[in-house]
Amino acid sequence: MALAVIAEGIYKTFRSGWRGKNEKLVLKGIDLQIEEGEIFGILGPNGAGKTTLLSILSTLLLPDRGRVEILGIDGLQDGHRIRERVNISSGNANFLWSLTVQENLHFYGMLYGLMGKEREEKVKQLISLFNLEEHRDVTFDRLSTGMKQRLSLAKSLLNDPAVLFLDEPTVGLDPSVSIWIRDQIRSIQKKKGMTVLLTSHNMREAEYLCSRIAFLKAGEIVTTGTAEALKRMVRIGDLVRIEFNGKISEDDLLRADGVINYTISDNFCEIMVDEGEKRVGPLVAIISQGGAQIKKVTLGQTDLEDVFIEFAKETDSDMGLRL
Amino acid sequence: MSSSNLQRKLIQIWAFVFKNWIMTKRNVFSLFEILFWPVVGFLSVGLLTNFLELETNMSGFILIGIISMSVTQVCQIDVAYVLLYDLWSKSMKHTFIAPVQPFQLILGSWLIGVFRSFVVFLLLCILSGVAFGFDFLRPGIGPLSLFLLGLFLISALVGISVCILVLLFGYKADVAAWSISSLMALICGIYYPISILPSPLPDIARAIPLTYFLEYFRSFYGFAGEMKNLLAWGFGLTALYLIVEAFLFRTVLYRARKNGVLIKLSE
Repeated sequence: MALAVIAEGIYKTFRSGWRGKNEKLVLKGIDLQIEEGEIFGILGPNGAGKTTLLSILSTLLLPDRGRVEILGIDGLQDGHRIRERVNISSGNANFLWSLTVQENLHFYGMLYGLMGKEREEKVKQLISLFNLEEHRDVTFDRLSTGMKQRLSLAKSLLNDPAVLFLDEPTVGLDPSVSIWIRDQIRSIQKKKGMTVLLTSHNMREAEYLCSRIAFLKAGEIVTTGTAEALKRMVRIGDLVRIEFNGKISEDDLLRADGVINYTISDNFCEIMVDEGEKRVGPLVAIISQGGAQIKKVTLGQTDLEDVFIEFAKETDSDMGLRL
Repeated sequence: MSSSNLQRKLIQIWAFVFKNWIMTKRNVFSLFEILFWPVVGFLSVGLLTNFLELETNMSGFILIGIISMSVTQVCQIDVAYVLLYDLWSKSMKHTFIAPVQPFQLILGSWLIGVFRSFVVFLLLCILSGVAFGFDFLRPGIGPLSLFLLGLFLISALVGISVCILVLLFGYKADVAAWSISSLMALICGIYYPISILPSPLPDIARAIPLTYFLEYFRSFYGFAGEMKNLLAWGFGLTALYLIVEAFLFRTVLYRARKNGVLIKLSE
């Protein structure tokens, strides 16, 4: 499959203070390849450089050095052509305060060269898609945060972008609105087949939406992969908790496939396995055959948050060693 | 350029007319910009000339100045507003992530500025005839059109300067929107001939095209100055500054993309 986004060796420094003497290296050699039609997530804590990276890829910001290619177009030499085929939506969106929802969409539609009936249709369609009908004549400054975010997403689809950049699209929204927005993003992407690059510090959001995820920490990509692959990579595994009567043989557990670690106390056992769903059946069988009577089994699956914490720990200790 | 491509470019220019027009409609303060301040300023100065019992031509000298100033001020503010509205709304990045060129942004906002300042001009023309018996149309439509074109182009120059300053200094720059034209009024001889200015201000005035356009229009009322080829100098300098500003605008926009100003101004 063709690549929609290529970034190679991206470095970015911000300067502040008198004559820019205070320097902060925000991105430290980012390499990234995103396939066409993929929803790719960039996860990381605040200050990791997510928005900076997204801004560079969307041509709003120029890197100190490195190469950016979007849809086969050189991002540093030909930003204008890229801008015709991409769009952006950010959390905590801001648009012209005195313009209504409809007027804002018409204004940005014009900026993307949409004319007459075509623009009318597009605006109407987006207002309907994001349930903004009741608010079409409300000025931006009077909209709720959720409505502002819907407008931001509607605006980002005006030019049917081939690559859509979403910068923390659900930040500051209440859970029900966040879920609705995630569903919309997923369904629109499926329908239009566009490439989506999303930043978030919400692990569940990334896991729900993204086919692949990159962890960004202190300006560096720690790792990239599917959510499942990342979970396997850190090998923190899934936790099987078993309440039982009788005795469990440690030898039996050591012989079982996929067991990473275990602890046994009175009538309670916690077993760390590589893939919970696959291993829980055979484990129960082995323990039962060993004579123990099983009362209750629960499976705690690793979520992306655990993976992220693990990666953060790893890089901290690496850094500690380097120091 | 294909016709659909041209239409696309035109609609992008029209976007900025649309934006400034809606913002003007919604903003009560813009009514003050078009009606209140120009009319109050004009009447105050006109009444002062009456009180001083100036000859009609001398009053005309001053009234030409005040009308020119009002036209320039109203027109330039629209060009400046094209980025100021984005600055105040923190929506700068959405404008610059769209595939628009700087000239489209400036041209669109300038067109609405020309319209608004022409309304101001008509209003003050009528007022000058009714209240002070001064005939603004005496030089004829041709010279008047050239004079107005000169004023509109100077407004574009001032407005672009403000936009450049906004991209350089962000929020600190919005004060320039009101102060540059006032500074120009001081130097270019809005209320007096530049010959009375202390050195080196007359030389600075000769580097500003407004000086030539004022002197050109006043020459039809018997105020022949020392300077020659007024229109050639006026339009020549304007063209030169427009080229310089176009280059500067591109440079500061590149710099804003480099140092992250576009993002900072959207947060």
